[in-house]
Amino acid sequence: MKHRKIAPVALVCLSGLSVVAFAQTGTKGSTNNQKSKPVTSAQGSSPDGEKRFQINCGRCHNPPEDISPREARAVGRHMRVRAMLSAEDEKLILQFLAP
Amino acid sequence: MIQKCLWPVGLALFAVTAACAQSNIPIISGGLGFFGATRGGVNSFQPVVAPVLAAPLGEKWLIESRADLRGFISREDGTTGPYQGQFFDTLEYLQIDYNATSRLTITAGRFLTPFGIFNERLSPIWISKFQDAPVIAAIGTSEGYSDGFMVRGALISNPRYAVNYVAYFSTLSTVPQFESARSTGGRVGLFLPNTRLEVGTSYERTLQVQRMNSFGADLSWAPDQLPLEVKGEWAHSLSGHGYWIQGAYRLSQLGGANSALGRLEPVFRMQQFFRNLQIPGDSLPATNTRLPEIGLNYYLPREVRLNASYGRQYLAHSGETNEWEFGITYRFLFPLWPGEFK
Repeated sequence: MKHRKIAPVALVCLSGLSVVAFAQTGTKGSTNNQKSKPVTSAQGSSPDGEKRFQINCGRCHNPPEDISPREARAVGRHMRVRAMLSAEDEKLILQFLAP
Repeated sequence: MIQKCLWPVGLALFAVTAACAQSNIPIISGGLGFFGATRGGVNSFQPVVAPVLAAPLGEKWLIESRADLRGFISREDGTTGPYQGQFFDTLEYLQIDYNATSRLTITAGRFLTPFGIFNERLSPIWISKFQDAPVIAAIGTSEGYSDGFMVRGALISNPRYAVNYVAYFSTLSTVPQFESARSTGGRVGLFLPNTRLEVGTSYERTLQVQRMNSFGADLSWAPDQLPLEVKGEWAHSLSGHGYWIQGAYRLSQLGGANSALGRLEPVFRMQQFFRNLQIPGDSLPATNTRLPEIGLNYYLPREVRLNASYGRQYLAHSGETNEWEFGITYRFLFPLWPGEFK
């Protein structure tokens, strides 16, 4: 019986964590810019590509600190397979990483 | 025999890769780690190297591979005696991917069994928030690796939502380094980019002498407004069922992600397993188990991460044990050879 109580407790703890997090956010807007981003030579050159990179990269892990344009093709292709992205997503991400 | 066959294949692929345009520069990525743990008074240490190779070929092909090389150092008699070490080398995947269409990728070779989200996405040492895999990680994954073919991609993809899929067939293999079970299965996921929420469901059917079905559901949420990550899985098989759920909150709102406090990430994980039937070799706890864990990750510059965690494991018939773990990981990424991007 005891173990059946653990699942609700875990959910409550996570909910609490979320509430604390929201409370810390207060009335601030998006804090996405506080998440770590990779340093590329293409910052701002493809906003849509950057957004898709951040969204899809973050589904599995923190973005790497640094991705050079020379590494971009392999990174983009790897992401396409792993994160099951469309060809359009890969193209936009590549435009962001290596314009 | 297999190794003799693989060498020419590897060399040929290397030559083809080298001949391709400089824009298709292969990368070597992966992680280095050193982990220590004290579980129920038993100390162990594990140095790990986990290299990843990703080599794009032309416009549609990709060769990927990952290995896990680790030592396991512990006392001879558990808590007494001299320390001794063992070495384990595992080829986790070696696959070739062909992007047939915008929404279809065909994969052949050895790959990570696509069941749930942990095995494929979170198992690398530089990604996982905790040192140990969840206790239910063996459900539906056939020991983690499959040899065969797989189709995957985005069935629907638009700015509001994306539906992704993966289906595979794996053959039985007893070849050293390529062991796998005969099985089939897949996963379907729904991803909502605006809320950064993904839910998925998985299925696996083992096609060995004993045919068994496994089912799973997973959740992943990383809201844009917060440096918060919530992930979890539930899985069921003939052996039993269980779940894990994990939350991680990066304190980047305290002075930014690169401040002393902003580099901290408290993490929490709760997991339980309920044994239904004893099946030898299923790699699951022998009895009902629950394991709450708390931890702290610290992200140093240059992709170095420190982590420490404490968990208390409750086993139905053998009592409770404390688990202390600490580790350091370094994530690397560099091109395989020098050259200019074109």
